[in-house]
Amino acid sequence: MTERYARQLNLPHWTPETQQHLAAARVLVVGAGGLGSAVLPYLVAAGIGLTGIVEDDRVDLTNLQRQVLYDTQDIGVPKAEAASRRLAALNPDVEIRSHRTRLEPGNAAAILAGYDLVVDCTDNSAARELLNRTCLNLEKPWIHAAVSEYFGQVTTLLPGGPCWQCLSGTGAPADPPPAGILGPVAGLIGSVQATEALKQLTGTGRLLVERLLVWDALLPGWAEFSYRRNPDCWACGRG
Amino acid sequence: MQVELQLFATLRKYAPDQPLDKGLVMNVEPPLTVSILLEKAGVPLDKVKIIMVNNRHAGFDQELAAGDRVAAFPPVAGG
Ligand SMILES: [Zn+2]
Repeated sequence: MTERYARQLNLPHWTPETQQHLAAARVLVVGAGGLGSAVLPYLVAAGIGLTGIVEDDRVDLTNLQRQVLYDTQDIGVPKAEAASRRLAALNPDVEIRSHRTRLEPGNAAAILAGYDLVVDCTDNSAARELLNRTCLNLEKPWIHAAVSEYFGQVTTLLPGGPCWQCLSGTGAPADPPPAGILGPVAGLIGSVQATEALKQLTGTGRLLVERLLVWDALLPGWAEFSYRRNPDCWACGRG
Repeated sequence: MQVELQLFATLRKYAPDQPLDKGLVMNVEPPLTVSILLEKAGVPLDKVKIIMVNNRHAGFDQELAAGDRVAAFPPVAGG
């Protein structure tokens, strides 16, 4: 148990109690695609006690260029099942729970209620709107990310702070059709999400709260933008 | 007056001359709003999801002053 985590137990400020916090933590990862392929193995490897996966899709050949959680022999297999198998092999000391469903208004609250932290690895704005509403209602912290082509963005949303809708606004354009995506861009942004999750659960460092971190792989470069709670936000505002 | 416009992700194609490390410097007469600036830069407003002025969230109607830095993002939805 201790040997597995020796290199993180060597971290500054990381004690055996920190590790016990992780062992008691319950994290839900919504979506097991490109972002999830980075988030899931890092969380499970770090010793999160319970990792939930919400995913109803099956592995497709076109996924494998970026969804490195899966093997060619997994094609046609439900992602939640293939991911669980892979993650259990990575760390048999923790629990993996698969929810083979889409997140929907009828099941979101019941699923999220069983977790302390939610990681947004979804691929559409409708799912994020639902995640936002549900996390607001249940006062759950969550880590938003999205990627497209050579670009990615990530931010951490805590109860009482600005919500995803404060950042995204309303009346915004609909999602564009699925675009190309460079595989490691999803891995990079997913790795930032996993880092934020581990920091949030262990109280380490400062979080990307009220800060949108943006990656442009073509430059390449990072940019950071602060944002505030919108008092007129239809999701969390008073008006 | 001078303002800076930074376009991100797929919006970069509307400002191919934007320096890699900072925004496109534009000379525009006041009164100026975010939407007027974007129109002058040839950016279709319906392609813009998030606007930041001086690193803070803003709307299309926000008035701009000399030296302001505007950043615009398209919807980024993939996962
Ligand atoms: Zn809000």
